Amino acid sequence: MSWIREGELTIIERFCANIIKAGPMPKHVAFIMDGNRRYAQKCHVERQQGHSQGFEKLAQTLRWCLNLGIREVTVYAFSIENFKRSKEEVDGLMDLARQKFSRLLEEQESLKKHGVCIRVLGDLPLLPLDIQELIAQAVLATRNYNKCFLNVCFAYTSRHEISSAVREMAWGVEQGLLEPSDVSESLLDKCLYTNNSPDPDLLIRTSGEVRLSDFLLWQTSHSCLVFQSVLWPEYSFWNLCEAILRFQMNYSALQKARDSYMEERRRQQMERDQDYVTKKLQQEGFASHGDSRRRRTLLQKCTAMREERIQGFLQALEHKRADFFERLCPVSA
Amino acid sequence: AAASCALLAPAAGAFVFRKAGAGRRRPGGAAQGRQRWRSDGRALQKLPVHMGLVVTEEEPSYADMASLVVWCMAVGISYISVYDHNGIFKRNNSRLMDEILKQQQELLGLDCSKYMVKFANQDKADQVLNCQSTLKVLSPEDGKADIVKAAQNFCQLVAQQQRTYTDLDVNVLDNLLSSTNGFPDPDLVLKFGPVDSTLGFLPWHIRLTEIISLPSHLNISYEDFFSALHHYAACEQRWGK
Repeated sequence: MSWIREGELTIIERFCANIIKAGPMPKHVAFIMDGNRRYAQKCHVERQQGHSQGFEKLAQTLRWCLNLGIREVTVYAFSIENFKRSKEEVDGLMDLARQKFSRLLEEQESLKKHGVCIRVLGDLPLLPLDIQELIAQAVLATRNYNKCFLNVCFAYTSRHEISSAVREMAWGVEQGLLEPSDVSESLLDKCLYTNNSPDPDLLIRTSGEVRLSDFLLWQTSHSCLVFQSVLWPEYSFWNLCEAILRFQMNYSALQKARDSYMEERRRQQMERDQDYVTKKLQQEGFASHGDSRRRRTLLQKCTAMREERIQGFLQALEHKRADFFERLCPVSA
Repeated sequence: AAASCALLAPAAGAFVFRKAGAGRRRPGGAAQGRQRWRSDGRALQKLPVHMGLVVTEEEPSYADMASLVVWCMAVGISYISVYDHNGIFKRNNSRLMDEILKQQQELLGLDCSKYMVKFANQDKADQVLNCQSTLKVLSPEDGKADIVKAAQNFCQLVAQQQRTYTDLDVNVLDNLLSSTNGFPDPDLVLKFGPVDSTLGFLPWHIRLTEIISLPSHLNISYEDFFSALHHYAACEQRWGK
């Protein structure tokens, strides 16, 4: 299949893979595939060639990830900022996208065989309509596959994504599905484009740049960040292993930091809930320290009601999103 | 192979392997020191407007962080933020401030009443005099939690029908955030310690921030600090183009 290179690891690669797999492995890796244009310059070829090579390298890297048991990969394919590039380059990238998504749709059998679920994340209405339609077809065709997951960020920036998540919650409030007090970090998590994925364990950026460039800012706050100087089209299996080793070296520190962050988050939510209950009891004329049973009951009731509201809202959001894709391909499979 | 996995861009691969500094610089004469630092700052092609000092080590050192803050001031950096993921600096704000005042005295030989760093967290007007740099001490609550607070506030307005959900875009949300009021986004983060993560430091604001890693902030030397600035000055930003 053109998006995932066929082939197994060489003997040496398999040897190293086995060593690495003895330690903790990332379940979800994100890539900023930077360096296509510099590679093209270096090799004295057209930029378009650089991007093409970049895609080939993506296919190869996905294969390596699968070989290593890494089942979810997210890539930054096209930023909203990239629209600022020359018309020629943007058109070239759009054509590459057309080519690759069309090809993907011709490979239904292979997608099924590998069980690849393709998701495309971004402000899709910014794209040419025909590309939106191709994307919708690819997403709908693979939505029930679950052996591995490929998330392609296209017409994406993290700030747009976070704003969109907040907008969705505001929509929920406007629709009467949510109370403003239901807004929380965990609810915002569930409104991002990446709501069906765990946070990336590892973020790799190639070409030597040491910044995030508006990619998954929310989701990678506690991820292992690895900056590698190799240009993307020259990425090797060894580069990938190096990054995973870095992840392993950071594993316990990051686990610890994440756990303490979640604990603090839980504690603050509990505090907010207790304050709410106290206020409620006071309103109803009971002493704030009141009957601990009454407190507990009220707390349970409020929590349950909030859960119900949130479930209802998330379902509505899910429908809205599915609807967007379904309307783009009325003759979906 | 090792160089290709450097935490920094290739030219500065040495950072990762260098021992954390050989002691803090003590100026010969304080006035001399001040001049030297100012000219160091001017010698760089570009200086960050907002520098983030992020500590990933478990035990932060007030003295070393104070040195870093004072060096930032000395070199001419206008906005400085200090962060650790346990919120230790924030909880012990006054201890850090005391240490900074002390270092200012020692390293810059400055009369504290004349040349003060403005402590953006505090309201004490008497400490704000002829300031050239502003400092904020941040913790995880200034990151995602601040975004959530802004979201709640907006949703409250929507509930009161003072806003509609389509009003919210990137700029509106940006303006609703309060943790870094008055500060531009950080251009540069110096990250200290062995952990390869920002550990929750201002996720929204660091979208274009250069992240330079140093092994430790303990006994950090001015030379190491300045090398990092030098490295930052050399980097090119394409802004998506």
